[in-house]
Amino acid sequence: MMWLTLWSEGFMQRALLATVLSGVTCSLIGVLIVTMRLSFIGVCISHAAFAGAILGLYLGVPPLGSSLVTSLLAAGLLGPLADRGNLSPDTAIGVMFSASLALAFLLLALLPGPKSEALVWLWGNVLTVSRESLWLLAATASAIALLVVLFFKELQAVIFHRDLAAASGLPATAIFYGVLICSGVAITASLSAIGGLLVFSMVVNPAATAYQLTYRLSWMFLLSTLFAILTGWVGLALSALFNLPSGAMVVLVSTTMLLTAITFSPKRRAGTGGIR
Amino acid sequence: MKQTACELRQVWVSYGKTPALRGVSLQVAQGELLGLFGHNGAGKSTLLRAVLGLVPVQSGEVLVDGVPVQKRDLPRLRQRIGYVPQMLRVDAGTPVSVRDVVMMGQYAQIGWGRLPSQGHKQRADRALEAMGVTHLADKPFGHLSGGEQQRVLLACALAQSPRLLLMDEPTSSVDWQFVRELAGLIREVHEANHLTTIVVSHDAPFLARLCDRVVLMEGGEILGDLPASSLLKRVEQESG
Ligand SMILES: Nc1ncnc2c1ncn2[C@@H]1O[C@H](COP(=O)(O)OP(=O)(O)OP(=O)(O)O)[C@@H](O)[C@H]1O
Ligand SMILES: [Mg+2]
Repeated sequence: MMWLTLWSEGFMQRALLATVLSGVTCSLIGVLIVTMRLSFIGVCISHAAFAGAILGLYLGVPPLGSSLVTSLLAAGLLGPLADRGNLSPDTAIGVMFSASLALAFLLLALLPGPKSEALVWLWGNVLTVSRESLWLLAATASAIALLVVLFFKELQAVIFHRDLAAASGLPATAIFYGVLICSGVAITASLSAIGGLLVFSMVVNPAATAYQLTYRLSWMFLLSTLFAILTGWVGLALSALFNLPSGAMVVLVSTTMLLTAITFSPKRRAGTGGIR
Repeated sequence: MKQTACELRQVWVSYGKTPALRGVSLQVAQGELLGLFGHNGAGKSTLLRAVLGLVPVQSGEVLVDGVPVQKRDLPRLRQRIGYVPQMLRVDAGTPVSVRDVVMMGQYAQIGWGRLPSQGHKQRADRALEAMGVTHLADKPFGHLSGGEQQRVLLACALAQSPRLLLMDEPTSSVDWQFVRELAGLIREVHEANHLTTIVVSHDAPFLARLCDRVVLMEGGEILGDLPASSLLKRVEQESG
């Protein structure tokens, strides 16, 4: 069958590995972003990362490095905004979001020669992910998984209530910024596989799906990862079978899964869930 | 004379430009059960948060056990302060159970990368039982009523085995029956654990029944001390 022979091709295995690794990385971070209500920061970080990559190409420095710098910069700028609960950060985020996209498109236009390399950062391409990118993804995925396990209870306390966590003696602010930094790193590492436009849905969709289905944080991490792997696999297979862009397929599959989960969510039926 | 467990010296705190505490000085003796009484916006919550170092103190000093609190001591200090906040807004869907919440108070003491021991779990169980919420242990915290949430947060503070217990409006959403019970309960916990306790409340009869001493706050200042018995009289005079 085509479904089976498909995976025996070397490039498909590599693509699957890239999808799964970026899926795991993004979905773990996604649980933190969704439960800590940082979605808007996630959006900004992904677009800043994308702009950074284009900037790197323009300046002739490694795009991965420059994208890491800009995504961390975005995290560092937005963190204090989210910190101050009384100030609505909407405007600042809207401005930053569109400014980074505008900058990226400007630089894109200024880039000499063919734009195919630059466009990879926009759309991503799991079929052309380099060996180094795979290693980076593997390292990032393991590091984040390890951090989640090591700091599970601290993360849970901060997710529950930052102020209460701080009052009990936990370094809640440091943990909060740690999460932001990890988000920047995770998004940057996934950028070449998924692309700046789609990476955010890889972060949020699996976690939001898991959020609909469980009241336990540990399950949420597990389900989110599982969903990311599953949608990566299905999306990739569909894209190969019908010759469609892989990133778009993965995102559409995970969106379908999220909508299904919302429809059948026990939380929504209990009147306590709903998308956030 | 008894040692002071907690002291504020001319403490100023402001949010933006408006001061919330205007040179507050207060001594709380070791083992004292102190009530803080005052109108909305008097600065009661801010005072508790200043003791915890959760709001920046602009001038003045906060001392715990006679030692001025330094920023780097805060994490260790907070581990031994039980804090029951006034109000928590938590999403109903938040993936955190009641038992998780009660364990949380101890996480800083346990340290990162370590699992809670049997002892930590037992302490949480005892606190759940003392607050009468054992039957809720496996529910998501977000599904509880306001009063149930308050009991759970109190259980969380108790499980921490604090020396100093700070409670912000513990009666604000518990039913009248539990208010009576709560006064007894806080007394019991306070005495059994040799605590120093500060209770903020609008509920004058509750404070009168519970506290050794009640302090009146108004406009960010401490107006004065009242023995608990004269508090009721004062409230009666005011209301009519
Ligand atoms: N985060 C904040 N930002 C700005 N102003 C604040 C903040 N928290 C409190 N205030 C202000 O500080 C003053 C004291 O507030 P505080 O919460 O300490 O009062 P309180 O005595 O606890 O009142 P209540 O009985 O309503 O709980 C109030 O005028 C309030 O408006
Ligand atoms: Mg208050």
